[in-house]
Amino acid sequence: MLQLAAIADSLRILLLPLKELILAYVPAGWIMSLPAITLVIFGIIALTVGMRYNPLGISFIGVILAILEMVMFDPTVMFGYSFGTLFVRDAFTDLFVYIVLMVAFLVLMSSTLWGGDKGTYNFLLMISFAGAIWVVMATDLVALFLAWELMSTPTYILVALGPRREAVDGATKYFVMGLLATMLMLLGIALTFGVAGTTDLSALSVYVNTLWASPVGNEPAAYTLLLAIVLFIVSFGFKVGIFPGWQWVPDTYASADGSVTAYLAGGSKKTGVSALLRILMIGFFFAKTEWAPLIAGVAVLTMVIGNVLALAQKDIMRMLAFSSIAMMGYLFIGVAAANEIGMAAAGFHAFTHAIMKTAAFILIWAMSYKLMKRITYDDLAGLSKRAPVAAAMFAILMLALAGMPLTVGFWSKLVLFQSAVVADMWWLALVGLLNSVFSLGYYLRVMKFMYMEEPKDDTKLNLPLVPMVAVAICVLAVVALFIFPNVILDYAFQAAQIFFP
Amino acid sequence: MQLDFATNLISMLPMNILVLMLLIPLVGALVAFLVGGKGSRAITLIVTTLEMGLAVLLILGTPSLGSDPGGMSYTISHMLARLGTDSSAPVFEIILGVDGLSLVMILLTNLVVWIAAISSNHIKESKGLYYTLFLVLQTGLLGVFMSLDLIGFFIFWELVLIPMFFIIGRWGEEGSNHAAVKFFIYTHLGSAVMLVGFFYLYFQSSMFNIYGIATAVPTFNMVDLRNLGLDPWVQIGFALAIFMGAGVKLPVFPLHNWLPWAHVKAPTPGSVILAGILLKMGGYAFIRLGLWMVPDAITRLAIPFAIIAIFTCIYAAFTAMAQTDMKRLVAWTSINHMSWVLLGVAAYAAGSGSTDPVIQAAASLALQGSIFMMFAHGTIISVMFIVAGQLKYNAGTREIPDIKGLMAQAPKLSAVLILATLAAFGLPGFSGFIAEALIIFGSIVVINWSAAIGFGIFITVGYMLWMLNRIVFSDPDPEKEVSEASWSDLIAPILMLVPVILLGIWPDLILDIVKPVVDAMLLGGAP
Repeated sequence: MLQLAAIADSLRILLLPLKELILAYVPAGWIMSLPAITLVIFGIIALTVGMRYNPLGISFIGVILAILEMVMFDPTVMFGYSFGTLFVRDAFTDLFVYIVLMVAFLVLMSSTLWGGDKGTYNFLLMISFAGAIWVVMATDLVALFLAWELMSTPTYILVALGPRREAVDGATKYFVMGLLATMLMLLGIALTFGVAGTTDLSALSVYVNTLWASPVGNEPAAYTLLLAIVLFIVSFGFKVGIFPGWQWVPDTYASADGSVTAYLAGGSKKTGVSALLRILMIGFFFAKTEWAPLIAGVAVLTMVIGNVLALAQKDIMRMLAFSSIAMMGYLFIGVAAANEIGMAAAGFHAFTHAIMKTAAFILIWAMSYKLMKRITYDDLAGLSKRAPVAAAMFAILMLALAGMPLTVGFWSKLVLFQSAVVADMWWLALVGLLNSVFSLGYYLRVMKFMYMEEPKDDTKLNLPLVPMVAVAICVLAVVALFIFPNVILDYAFQAAQIFFP
Repeated sequence: MQLDFATNLISMLPMNILVLMLLIPLVGALVAFLVGGKGSRAITLIVTTLEMGLAVLLILGTPSLGSDPGGMSYTISHMLARLGTDSSAPVFEIILGVDGLSLVMILLTNLVVWIAAISSNHIKESKGLYYTLFLVLQTGLLGVFMSLDLIGFFIFWELVLIPMFFIIGRWGEEGSNHAAVKFFIYTHLGSAVMLVGFFYLYFQSSMFNIYGIATAVPTFNMVDLRNLGLDPWVQIGFALAIFMGAGVKLPVFPLHNWLPWAHVKAPTPGSVILAGILLKMGGYAFIRLGLWMVPDAITRLAIPFAIIAIFTCIYAAFTAMAQTDMKRLVAWTSINHMSWVLLGVAAYAAGSGSTDPVIQAAASLALQGSIFMMFAHGTIISVMFIVAGQLKYNAGTREIPDIKGLMAQAPKLSAVLILATLAAFGLPGFSGFIAEALIIFGSIVVINWSAAIGFGIFITVGYMLWMLNRIVFSDPDPEKEVSEASWSDLIAPILMLVPVILLGIWPDLILDIVKPVVDAMLLGGAP
């Protein structure tokens, strides 16, 4: 039995009147998409209210309402599709939607630091959250494309709205590479449609199955589909920040507003993972032997690039950006393994990475906001004396990212490496492990500066409260999930099972 | 040795004694962190004394070979994570249990940690954090020696690194940051390779046993893995991974480079724990994961291991001779002595397969010697490090050429130093002698050219006496002030000398506990 089911059930009973009210007035085809629709509505309200007041409260209400709606409409007992069969909610979707909503909530907590146009900011964030939910839910390539654009377009502007001049440079790079990825994705969809005659993933799966069973005489079709696979990996990999589309990540992450960075790293990145997983594991499941080695190569290159370049950074934001590239490399070990445990490991890692990275970015952004400068290693010197709680939290997050015991990062890496071993790719597990040893080079440097160097000025550093509470929640989760990993791991395995019915 | 009243006392405890021993320091750490300052030291002393008492109780009340699978006692398991949604899915769990071998190591751990806690009196800065880390470290160390499954073993093995990293880096002397990072990365690299070995074994255990029959659920359980009787080639792959993980900790020749740095730069209690227990984790891993779990593999690797051990011993002895820093000399002495453990392991592995009872007896002797060496070295080297650290306070320096006439000016400190040095190079009457004698008597019968390690003893005696000659028996230099150590600084080393001398005249105290385990291993392991 899933461990949070009791809480969800009691919430459902509590919300029963509201549920019946909604069921009476909202069309049945909309019900499952209601969280995303709610976010859009509240985004528009926030835009209107934002002309006069700070609409952050509206956004909070929207996100909480969306979470409640997620709980209220249980896809295991209700019809999971919405808008025809374009979008679906199942165990896999739910895992990633909850990741997105959780990150959304944390990002909003950190957004109390936002100093620019509040209405626009909240509107864009909410629209992007809604897009992210739909990306995760999409079962059709065209619907996926639309949702993808709905999610991505606001983030281009959000990055450009960053407080510093270089934010525009980062946004430009992000935008140009994002457009390139979009074009490649469109080409991939067109190729798939041209060959298979469908954009629905389950129909595509049937087609690939028959094609792979009797490829003789149909080689052009098969090769076209292989090209489409490569294009999908490249274009979704762009958002995820894996090889070969990782170049925008450090510039954009380091120059954007920290809350936006936290969303990009924690939320929108995971939607790319989920979309890619769904395309590969449902649409092209029968071509697994073809794409699994490709993904393994991508994983290795991503890990190596992320780790080597992270070691060379002086700026903490950039270091974290490169480290999140490396983390995605680890995640794709599980995808390359392409077995049930690998899928579960990827989902679990997506969850843990979301809490660890979001918290790390929020914490560094709060420091950066307070000190009015970009944070380098030298600024961390003696942090344990200037802000002991923040230093301890950041140290735990670094240990978690390094995959040390007492933090959930240990489990997520362990399960990933185990999945590679089970798939008979123990060399991949070894590469991953050596990379994770290598990554200590920069995680330990952070701790060395925080705990073993003397600060340049001894004044206490009072970091803003609300973002620190967000970080503290994440840190508590990181430690608690080490003791009870099954709270999330069970959901990840349940999510993985939809690929192996 | 099993006393009824101790067994009864253990059964009267509110929970499993092993769990209790792991939890007390963790709770203590939390309290010490909250109290901070002076109170944290008091709490640490109480907790470590309590732990010491529990360890003595445990060793008095537990049979060497218990009734649980694998000859264990007090086995208890806790599931950490299940990889799947149904109940037949493989699990990650922590399994605790002790046999004679673990008992000895647990006693050593609690003894050394207790002494290190007493000798932490020179830690002045951020006391609360220091003692918190110190107690967490104790949990990790105990967990390593109690774990009966590979994942739990790995978790505790890694858990040791984190507090040690901070203790070395934060409270160490000039240049300790670098040493801490070096320590962490070296040992983590070794552990990572070892983890791949664990996975490899796990994977193989799910595929086929020696008859080519697939076993149902893959497992990390050490007892089950041993009973599987894995294919020797699988075992060799695993043994090489163990060599990386345990070899870094022990350490052996190509993997030893972190040790002098970490030991020298760490604060005195840190060095004591590093040399006293962390190195023994390596030896323990060789015996538990190697000889005990995959005996066939180590048998095939015995000759290379013996060569490495002998080379490391002589190499480290020569390097120690060239050191001028007292602490660095003691650090190299540790490498020198720990290579004896590896020699004993190799000799046992080479001889255990023989049908000749003489060779079997010799193999048993060598392994008992190895375990005894770990205990003896853990106690002796603690005294050496405390005295070496003390020199900094009393003579102002640790540079051997700069300290003159210690005997004349600080007789009490000198007496402790002389006794520890004599014990370290193995003078009869001290525990070091028994250990070296057992190992060399055993290994000469099995691998006759291992007598070459005798050359290592020769050099060791040489540099130790030379060091004494320069520091203690030289003429006092009037320009260099040397003061006597206070009693509060001398309590810890003097307490630690008690087991050194006691075990020198009554080695059976430890050997009686170890021997049943070794005998059972020779017969193919307790069921």
